[in-house]
Amino acid sequence: METNYETIVIGGGVVGSGIAYHLSERYKEGVLVLDKKYPMSGTSGSTQAWVWVHNKTPSWYAEFSMYSAELYPYLSKKIGDVEYKRTGGLSPFFNESDREKAQKLAESYRKIGIKIKVLSREEVLEKEPYMNPEVAGATYSSIDGNVNPFRLIDMYMRAAKRNGVRYSTYNRVTEIRQVNGKYLVVSDKGAFECKNLILAGGTWSREIGDMLGVKIPVNQLRGQILVSEPLKPFLNFTISGLRQANNGEVLMGYSMEEAGFNRATTLDVIQETANMAVRYVPGLRKAKIVRAFSGIRAMPEDGFPILGNVPGYENLYVAATHSGVTLSPLIGTLITELIMDGETSIPIDRYSLSRFG
Amino acid sequence: MKTDVLIIGGGPAGLSAAIETASRGLDVTIVDEASQLGGQLNQQTQVLRPLPSVYEPMRGFELANKLIEQIKGFNVRLLLNHRVVGFYADGSAGITDEENVFPVKAKKIIVASGAAEKAVAFPKWTMPGIMTIGAAQTLINRDFVMPGKEAVIVGSSDFAMETAIQLMDVGIRVKAIIEKQSGALAKEQEKASELSKNGIPFYFNSFIKEARGNGQVEQIDIELPDEVITLSVDLVCMDGGRAPILDVFYQLGCSFGFQEELGGWVPQYNHTLQTGREDVYLAGNAAGISTQGPLLLTGMIAGISVSEELQAISPAEANEMREALWKELGLLEDKEVYSGRIKHLENFTSPLLKDQFIS
Repeated sequence: METNYETIVIGGGVVGSGIAYHLSERYKEGVLVLDKKYPMSGTSGSTQAWVWVHNKTPSWYAEFSMYSAELYPYLSKKIGDVEYKRTGGLSPFFNESDREKAQKLAESYRKIGIKIKVLSREEVLEKEPYMNPEVAGATYSSIDGNVNPFRLIDMYMRAAKRNGVRYSTYNRVTEIRQVNGKYLVVSDKGAFECKNLILAGGTWSREIGDMLGVKIPVNQLRGQILVSEPLKPFLNFTISGLRQANNGEVLMGYSMEEAGFNRATTLDVIQETANMAVRYVPGLRKAKIVRAFSGIRAMPEDGFPILGNVPGYENLYVAATHSGVTLSPLIGTLITELIMDGETSIPIDRYSLSRFG
Repeated sequence: MKTDVLIIGGGPAGLSAAIETASRGLDVTIVDEASQLGGQLNQQTQVLRPLPSVYEPMRGFELANKLIEQIKGFNVRLLLNHRVVGFYADGSAGITDEENVFPVKAKKIIVASGAAEKAVAFPKWTMPGIMTIGAAQTLINRDFVMPGKEAVIVGSSDFAMETAIQLMDVGIRVKAIIEKQSGALAKEQEKASELSKNGIPFYFNSFIKEARGNGQVEQIDIELPDEVITLSVDLVCMDGGRAPILDVFYQLGCSFGFQEELGGWVPQYNHTLQTGREDVYLAGNAAGISTQGPLLLTGMIAGISVSEELQAISPAEANEMREALWKELGLLEDKEVYSGRIKHLENFTSPLLKDQFIS
């Protein structure tokens, strides 16, 4: 295998593969993606894969997510069907007292052009007849949806490979050194040299940063998800907590735990999740659960994406974020612009690593 | 609910582990998804031999009754029609009666989850009327239901031959035995020859090409070495071998090795039948596919080891008994299986798969 590349991306998940693909559209130099296991064996393969804009706060972060969601239809045209569905998103609330909070949220979004409706009980039940009739209302946004994460990453990889990107999988990076103004990436399967290095290690960002003495404050959050047997199509929207996949399975999950890299599932959380799902959609009580799995999500210390140049390092870039599925088309676009043009079409200073001091 | 020993699975291995632990005064709970104890023994009408020296040869369902009889003499909590569905953060097992889930906190767990049959896939193999040999045997002997009138058997292991005979005994016409290999795999040649004597053809180097039928199997095409023949059948019994049932071990975070002679992926264990998790032991087919005699012995070994850990028996006594049982296991068990088991023990500290929940 070639050991010299213009650009190396560490991490082949939805963020890393998204960057590699977008880069390969314009960039004819050599690109290598290194993955510790195989793309989709980490966070990207253990997600409900919402493309989710509304109730991200503050509104500038929602705006950022919206730009990414708007790229999805074009992405499908370029890389193939990733089962992207703009179902619209519902975030139900059960207490009338929450309505005021919802109104405020909608108001702050209106200022930046994101339309969010606050629905009455009747409106919710009209949209989603199987929702619990005790619901008080919901916030609703038409831009939310979901995607099939396996298709998404697979298509990213295929398209990137067609454009000449190389992948080296089951290949853990063990050391990164700076040599004569270049980066030397030492891995289980040998050392690779590159000019540009992009750190897209997701949940392992902190560990990868440490190899260079860069502090990337990303923590791990565990989410446990239940999978129902395939049911007839009956849920129309992506609901904050559950969605129905194309084959009829309902994915349910809204939990967040600090468990490091431990991907076990626990009955405690499984039961809470089942209770949540039944509270939202009482009919699910009758459904059989076929599986539970958990995923470790990346969560930057302040919750917002960490994007762009690494201060004090030439040609070193970082992309570490929560909501990688939602943001991957936009992050891929922006990091490509940064490398090719030296500037981005929308400002990303807000997301610089420098904010952590 | 609290218990000293939680035994998952109430088949021959689980029951013999329960006898060893409960007889020494430990508080024992058995959970099984079936409505009665005994596991697969209940539909086994064949004579089982060799059994451990404490048992004379007997039929499967007779052995089940004998084990259940012994259990009744002790104070064992039975959770029949219950399933283990997961584990709580504090290590308690989550057990359901299909209505509610409740926690059971055990000092030690013995997993005796048994084996699952593997299917033999061919085009349209999921049609009604096509089933594993174990399913056919269960329908006949446990449920007293005729699974069909005209059958073929795919496979020629001892179990397949035994089942073919049982099908004939209840008046099902066995039209052929189909075997991919070039000869019968059964070790007990007399079963194969009994079938031959009854005029049942053996098709070697052959396999089912396709099944056909309207809503259920009606015809199959068999690919013979030099031609394709079509038979009318309403029952196809397939023997794809068996593999340990591993779900609970995964959930417990045990480590695994791969041992072809034991049925593929098997949890790692040492000579006390302790898995990679020190509070979890295993027994029976879950510890490697074997015959009923060895299944009982592994159950006894696991039960003795747990009794020792919980100080219901002295280490010296436990060692002596374990040694004797391992010796008997070496004599009783199929040579290949036993040598696979010994290899598996040697790999205890170097499992192929561990920490599967650590990203």
